[in-house]
Amino acid sequence: MTTKLDTRRPRRAIFAVAAVAAIAALGPVQPAAAQTIGYAQAIDILADSCGADILKHCKGINLGGGRIEGCLEQNPKVSQACKVDLVRVQGLLAARAAAQAAVGQICNRDAQQFCKLTKPGKGNILNCLLKAAPSVSANCNAAIDAAGYR
Amino acid sequence: MSSRILTALVAVALLSIPAGAQTKLDRNEIINSLSGLPASGHGVTAALLRQQALDNIAQNPGDNATTALPLAAQLAKLRQFNVEIVFDFDSATIRPESYETIGLMADALHHPYLLQYRFLVIGHTDAKGDRKYNLELSQKRADSIREALTTTFRVDPARLDAVGLGEEQLRDPADPYAQVNRRVQLINIGD
Repeated sequence: MTTKLDTRRPRRAIFAVAAVAAIAALGPVQPAAAQTIGYAQAIDILADSCGADILKHCKGINLGGGRIEGCLEQNPKVSQACKVDLVRVQGLLAARAAAQAAVGQICNRDAQQFCKLTKPGKGNILNCLLKAAPSVSANCNAAIDAAGYR
Repeated sequence: MSSRILTALVAVALLSIPAGAQTKLDRNEIINSLSGLPASGHGVTAALLRQQALDNIAQNPGDNATTALPLAAQLAKLRQFNVEIVFDFDSATIRPESYETIGLMADALHHPYLLQYRFLVIGHTDAKGDRKYNLELSQKRADSIREALTTTFRVDPARLDAVGLGEEQLRDPADPYAQVNRRVQLINIGD
């Protein structure tokens, strides 16, 4: 385990240096988009942390419509650890949604430059930007990464 | 923003990429299975499938379904992915161990490769129990999944219809009680 980590570190460092160099070469830029995690990974935290409480205190209550959240928030018997993780997971889900919603604006200039002939709508511009990744700005690529689109 | 903070952000982003490697189901596998524009005029709609399932019970009564739905051949041609979602016994309540699977479906549906398509979520039971009852239970279960996808996971409701087909469309008609029949299909019906 330790040796595996050690062997990988230099490669990561090289990537990081290369990425920083690439960003530095572009001069002053806006803040890079923060990384977010996928919906599956986020809700799995809830299932792990709150699964027992859900089976015990929220029997027959479904995930959708905010009902599981409502039950976990309101039931005084629900464990503190679960309540803390619930707030965290709600934040993670919202962060992923926000990251996906933000791509259009962050990549607006890239879209105009590299996807001029693409018909907007139905993910067409996003697919064009994915294909144009080598030319697209670092900021736009970071936004696409943060949205989980790769 | 100073370049030192940027350095830190970039390093964090690079280090946190490998994740979900251990999950049994993979988002990209779902995306690949569902990608592609279906042939136009396939005729598969939620309303028509529901009607054909009801008609199948009325016109071909009996303990178990023995005839395929008229749309079965068209349905089989569409891009699709099968998942297993675990529910409470005799209920449409999704068990917490299946939350992640529904999240994966959502992660796939949000991907640009699939944004142009509409989908059916189709619930199936095995042949145990009454056919009409199974039809209703599978509809409620498909509704539960659609609701989670469109609320918790923010998939556009206009892109998803839920259908329950009960035991009218078994995956393994030779073994009507087999586990493999209890499944949820995600089907690309085009734009």
